[in-house]
Amino acid sequence: MGGPMIPKERADYSAIVDRRPLRLPGGARIVFWTIVNYEVWDIGKPMARQLLPAPTGVPLMPDVVHWGFHEYGMRVGCWRFHELFRRLGVQPTLAANARICEDYARVAAAARDDGWEFMGHAYEQGPIHKETDQAGMINRTMDIMEKFCGKRPVGWLGPGLTQTLETPDLLAAAGVKYIGDWVYDDEPTVIRTTHGPLVTLPYTIECNDIPVMIIQHHNSDYLLQLVKDQFDRLYAESEKRAKFCALAIHPYISGQPHRIKYLEAIYDYVNGHEGVLHWNGAQILEWYQPIAQQQMKAAE
Amino acid sequence: MNVPKPAAGMLPNDRLAYSAIPTRRPLKLPKGARMAVWTVTNVEDWDPTQTMPRTVLTPPAGGSPMPDIPNWCWHEYGNRVGFWRLLQVYDEFKIPGVMNINGVAVEAYPDIVKACVERNWEFVGHGYTQRNMQKVANERADMRKSAEVLEKATGKRPRGWLGPGLTETWETPDILAEEGYDYVADWVLDDQPVWLKTRGRPILNIPYTQECNDVAMMLIQHHKANEFYERAMDQFEQIHKDAKGSGRVMAISVHPYIMGAPHRVKYFRKIFEKIRKKRDVLFWTGSQIADWYSKVGPKPV
Repeated sequence: MGGPMIPKERADYSAIVDRRPLRLPGGARIVFWTIVNYEVWDIGKPMARQLLPAPTGVPLMPDVVHWGFHEYGMRVGCWRFHELFRRLGVQPTLAANARICEDYARVAAAARDDGWEFMGHAYEQGPIHKETDQAGMINRTMDIMEKFCGKRPVGWLGPGLTQTLETPDLLAAAGVKYIGDWVYDDEPTVIRTTHGPLVTLPYTIECNDIPVMIIQHHNSDYLLQLVKDQFDRLYAESEKRAKFCALAIHPYISGQPHRIKYLEAIYDYVNGHEGVLHWNGAQILEWYQPIAQQQMKAAE
Repeated sequence: MNVPKPAAGMLPNDRLAYSAIPTRRPLKLPKGARMAVWTVTNVEDWDPTQTMPRTVLTPPAGGSPMPDIPNWCWHEYGNRVGFWRLLQVYDEFKIPGVMNINGVAVEAYPDIVKACVERNWEFVGHGYTQRNMQKVANERADMRKSAEVLEKATGKRPRGWLGPGLTETWETPDILAEEGYDYVADWVLDDQPVWLKTRGRPILNIPYTQECNDVAMMLIQHHKANEFYERAMDQFEQIHKDAKGSGRVMAISVHPYIMGAPHRVKYFRKIFEKIRKKRDVLFWTGSQIADWYSKVGPKPV
């Protein structure tokens, strides 16, 4: 078959029960991986998400309401995140459109200066399928972030996790070491690309405020309940093998006054457990890479 | 209302006459049981080159991008990780499993098939691919291929059938009977099995559920995870009460990518923790229900 690989050509099916357990250092059981998502919603384009459909339901341009809905997160909501993570000493992964380094330099600098991990997340928000020059956009994103942070990001998340079939090849070529787009496992995995192996980390579209709050319309307190349930189960399983509990948040959603207390309560709950590491993606990768190399050698 | 007759097959009321449940002759379950519960696990194979059957995350600004990697992965998680959590629940409470499985999934997920064969689960035909039966080019060939794949993998021909998404054409029951299937579960219209007339031998329909079903509750209605437990218990208590004097059937239907998620599985487990202890409840497979009803129920007209 010509053309880029489909997912099953990049990774064979593997049942988790057939794999040797992974172990974390120092007797730790579980990694809690926080991912903050910063985006740029260009007023000249349709807005990425809508809270209040326009009367008669027809999407209108410009959509000032939802531009403002998102902008609130960059003006106000993100500073609630900073306060929380400084207090906890957590340095999350920041999946950010590179354009935030230009449009919201104040916000990007605060994340950089607090030691957050910058993860490539396209130049601006929109499905990657609509990019006319995907390779160019990926390189541009990585270059802007590298210049802003002084080091090239190692991670990538597609906007809305979108990928085309060739995206993993283009990402590996641009120097990306891990992706969060493949939410198909509880453990990191290695997939095939035309530019060598690429690691997938267990990101989440379940513990994620977009599906839970914006698509499924749950009450604000449900994110707390859902993450507790998720964490409890993974924590119980982590007695036998390393587990990863990811949480993805957006300042315009979880940074809202009526939601922030439930986010704070998530960390209170998680931190009440022994053996929890608050690692970002780069830290998970650093630990996993030697393991992945061993596995690949063994498979040869 | 004058409904034009379909060119092939029959309209529903030509297959079975209306019947009110309190007017029927009582059905007796063995050992004084009031009801039978069957639990159905649905394993599918989502072709990454097609539009995904369901999505958890829509792309920014909407649309249906192709390929849809995040939603393909979301489903794949169920077969890599989630299924094994459901299996723990079935093992813990000794629930006889029923597997609704696409023919292609039998080939794609041999580990799952092996685990179920070891436990003597019943396999039910569920389409060769996860596609509306009205869009399948040749319905009969699809049913036949599904049966062949299952027979090859499990050593037994499937006796039951559930259409992908419960979809049927006007002719589905006729072809199923001709292809040797004994029962179907697409007709969610009763608490007891019913006979459906076909152009050949009749086929039994056994009560399935779109209500106690994680696709409906979690993905379409967007309920919290605990609603699965709450609703199953409400459903169970009412059917148990109604079954005084005449046996009834309750179905529970789950998908590994939904109820097998870490944050949901405990609500699934809690159902069995509550109902498995009941002495007057049978935990059966579809075939056991079909065999019982064929023996004690009214004969087909």
